[in-house]
Amino acid sequence: MTTLLEVRHLKKYFPVRQGLLGRTVAHVRAVDDVSFSLDEGETLGLVGESGCGKSTLAQTILFLEPPTAGEILFRGKVLTGRETRELRRNIQIVFQDPYTSLPPRMQVADIIADPLRIHKLGDQVSVDRKVRDLLQEVGLKPDWASRLPYEFSGGQRQRIGIARALSIDPSLVMADEAVSALDVSVQAQILNLFKDLQEQHNLTYLFVSHDLGVVKYMSRRIMVMYLGKIVELAPSQELYDHPLHPYTRALLSAVPSLHRKRKERIRLTGEPPKPTAPPAGCRFHPRCFMAQPICSEQEPELKEWVSGRFSACHFAMDNLAATAKM
Amino acid sequence: MTDSIPNQSTKSARGTPRGSVTEEAAPRATTGNFRALGLFLLRRKGALFGLVGTVLIALIAVFAPTIAPHNPLELDITQGLLPPIWNEGSAPDHLLGTDALGRDILSRIIWGARYSLTISLLSVAIGSSLGFFLGLISGFFGKWVDAIIMRLGDIQLAFPFLLFAIAVLAVSPERNIWNLSLVMGFAQWIVYARLVRSKVLSEKEKDYTRAARALGASPIRVLVRYVLPNSWQIVPVVAMLQIGGFVVVESTLSFLNLGLTPPIPSWGAILSDGRQYMVVSPYMPLLPGLAILITVLCINLASDGLADFFDPKLAKGGFRRYPLGLLPELHEPQREPLLRVRDVTTVFPMEEQVVTAVNRVSFDLERGQILGIVGESGSGKSTLGLSIIQLLDAPGRVVNGQILFQGKDLTRIGDHEMRQVRGKHVGMIFQNPGSSLNPVLSVGYQLRETLQRHHTLSDEVATRRAQEALEAVGIADLQRVLRAFPFELSGGMQQRVMIALAMSCEPELLIADEPSTALDVTTQVQLLDRLDEMRKKTGTSIIFITHDIALLADFADVFMIMYAGQVCEMGQRKQVIEAPQHPYTKALLDSVARTDVPGNQRLAAIPGDPPDPSEVPPGCPFAPRCPRVMPICREANPGIMTLGAGHTVACHLLTAKSA
Repeated sequence: MTTLLEVRHLKKYFPVRQGLLGRTVAHVRAVDDVSFSLDEGETLGLVGESGCGKSTLAQTILFLEPPTAGEILFRGKVLTGRETRELRRNIQIVFQDPYTSLPPRMQVADIIADPLRIHKLGDQVSVDRKVRDLLQEVGLKPDWASRLPYEFSGGQRQRIGIARALSIDPSLVMADEAVSALDVSVQAQILNLFKDLQEQHNLTYLFVSHDLGVVKYMSRRIMVMYLGKIVELAPSQELYDHPLHPYTRALLSAVPSLHRKRKERIRLTGEPPKPTAPPAGCRFHPRCFMAQPICSEQEPELKEWVSGRFSACHFAMDNLAATAKM
Repeated sequence: MTDSIPNQSTKSARGTPRGSVTEEAAPRATTGNFRALGLFLLRRKGALFGLVGTVLIALIAVFAPTIAPHNPLELDITQGLLPPIWNEGSAPDHLLGTDALGRDILSRIIWGARYSLTISLLSVAIGSSLGFFLGLISGFFGKWVDAIIMRLGDIQLAFPFLLFAIAVLAVSPERNIWNLSLVMGFAQWIVYARLVRSKVLSEKEKDYTRAARALGASPIRVLVRYVLPNSWQIVPVVAMLQIGGFVVVESTLSFLNLGLTPPIPSWGAILSDGRQYMVVSPYMPLLPGLAILITVLCINLASDGLADFFDPKLAKGGFRRYPLGLLPELHEPQREPLLRVRDVTTVFPMEEQVVTAVNRVSFDLERGQILGIVGESGSGKSTLGLSIIQLLDAPGRVVNGQILFQGKDLTRIGDHEMRQVRGKHVGMIFQNPGSSLNPVLSVGYQLRETLQRHHTLSDEVATRRAQEALEAVGIADLQRVLRAFPFELSGGMQQRVMIALAMSCEPELLIADEPSTALDVTTQVQLLDRLDEMRKKTGTSIIFITHDIALLADFADVFMIMYAGQVCEMGQRKQVIEAPQHPYTKALLDSVARTDVPGNQRLAAIPGDPPDPSEVPPGCPFAPRCPRVMPICREANPGIMTLGAGHTVACHLLTAKSA
């Protein structure tokens, strides 16, 4: 399997300005030293709470936000930010809110065809044919091509957003909370569609969501992010059954489930700290139910504890022991 | 693609009515648009009057040379100062009399329309196009471009218009239409530039603009294809209103001898001429004044009406009446419940149809009980909640049924009494805590205000109670939160403040409408814990409205599943979660079980879309999406049947089974 995307020590800091002169008083470390790689055809899930930097990570990979430091390699080539046009032919993004991600006064056909026109792919006839094919493929009627976005439901709009992303045949699609705004009952339809399209087009996905349930179903591997850092990375089922980080355990137990009792769930106290001033040592320690003195002193590294399973916790193996009993 | 095939067929079944309704409002359907405009004008008499008047005045201006009985510049001193036809001493060929130089006033006013309106239109065109262009580039390119343009605008606004007008017009050898329009229009560019700039700034941040950039579109393409089509609409609306204003400005300039060089007639010029003869012939200033008044009025009425017409919020929906089955035989306990809802129907009378959002819903809620109302968007679950607390958005109203709260029918009591009930006896938590809290008041102030509205409390006691309320929702950092403004708090913290606010008066009933949807999963668990604790401590009953049934599985005592405004299944947790009877309940439960589905299997999805309350199909509303649909389902609404104690289901399968 070949590596499609590699991210090395990526950082994205946003300056916090204050006062009349706009002095930079601090930095929001939205993405703080993140490294991972993505194989061709796989789905990598990215989970975390709001504000953990997962959306910024996705947008930085597309250079919608220029990175502060670090490298992004696409098919082994380092991206400099100058080849954005070519980059954006290969990497596409599907946004969260189907109500704001489509231009309200543009016909569906134009929304889907615009990427083809931007990149000058094909003549009018082939563009029209492609639009009809795409509509069919995402489960909409080709006859609806001349309608406007407001005539569609949330789920249908998200299908249009997917068709737009696929129109230029990208190899990597990033789904940024692509189903979070939909009714639970409709989410399943869209997730199934993502899977079908992956098979047919050999797509690679970076699937970003706050919902571990969604990510677990979609992904081969899952990456958990907390305050700009990756805290755990492991194959999906293993992460789900035996997480190696207490934060992952807490996230997992919070997923609403018909079977698990609420009383058995792990409670996290407090809120995520401000990303302008992350706590010393392990960033999770003020909320961690397993915290020891060392956690506030020494920042744990993201280490491979078991083959293919990375965790940034001093007590990763204790988690394994704790979940094995469950 | 198994899920999308039924989806398509259901859409095609729905596609026809939906298409025919919406195309009327769609901007591209020109003929439909004219018809819709006609219907709109018939309802809005003022707009119709304004539009007809404006068109008439415009026609007069265009055909002035043909209509005017005399040359407006033709002098005849012998015929000077003739009165209008209805006064003594008038001449039959000068209907409205003549001025001091014997020029026909009617002809001058007709020609005046031509000059005044041309000047107005030209001024608006100059001001709006300059302002639109500058606003567009200012907002889109930002940085120093924006800084320069906006500072120029500040100077323009600070610079006295009259001084500017005098500086330019007083030195011009001749004051014609062009330099007059230029002076009047130029000064207005900043009005348009600011509006357009703010619109562009918000468009720039929209996801679809971001999406266009993600697709590799160049800045110019993003500007022309994505930002511009969504920003220009503000310009004609303001421009229409300004046309009227410019007619007045032009007459002011004439009055100051800065108008058109005589003898060219504009209304301002005629008015200013007439001023000198006001005592001799009061009609001379009055008539052009009247012309200005009528014109400005007509234009304003017409532009107001058109602005409303093009407002996208006026989208219309369809409605179909459908029969209802048997009424439920509810399990009625001896004791009076806290809340008894019977046959409640809530409708939204829209432009052309009446949309039924809640259709004959009945339930009982005991003290200390938690009722979970589950449904997709458009199922009427939020409308039901708002109906109970009587906070429906206009034009919604409860048209049928009773809402008995502690024996009192909330649909019958007056506004004043309802305000007493709200807050003190019935509290509500909304989905978006950020927009439900008052942004300009501190949390402490809002809590104290709520407490003092319902109880006579000293400030000290109120502050203590406010602290207790925050403590009860698990806020440790009391002093900071009390002083904080809502925007300084995180979403989870805001939602806790909302609960504290709703619970501060210890209401008997709390309605929570999707309170956790905007929160992270870890915060959701905390929210449920808080609500549960509250219930245990104060015995409050809770109605929890959500689209995610899994969230409530271990929380609610009673479940009510709603679809298209109707109850499809209701019962205890054991009955609904463990032995669901309605195919929709089963499908909902299956669709949330995705953590149990291995990645290589397909998720159980409900095909099609959530119901559109304006297009409820005849028969069972769930029939188009139902996996077990039978012919009868498309014809007759099943009506509610009782299975066991408190377990009711509305499905034809049950009758089929028992038959």
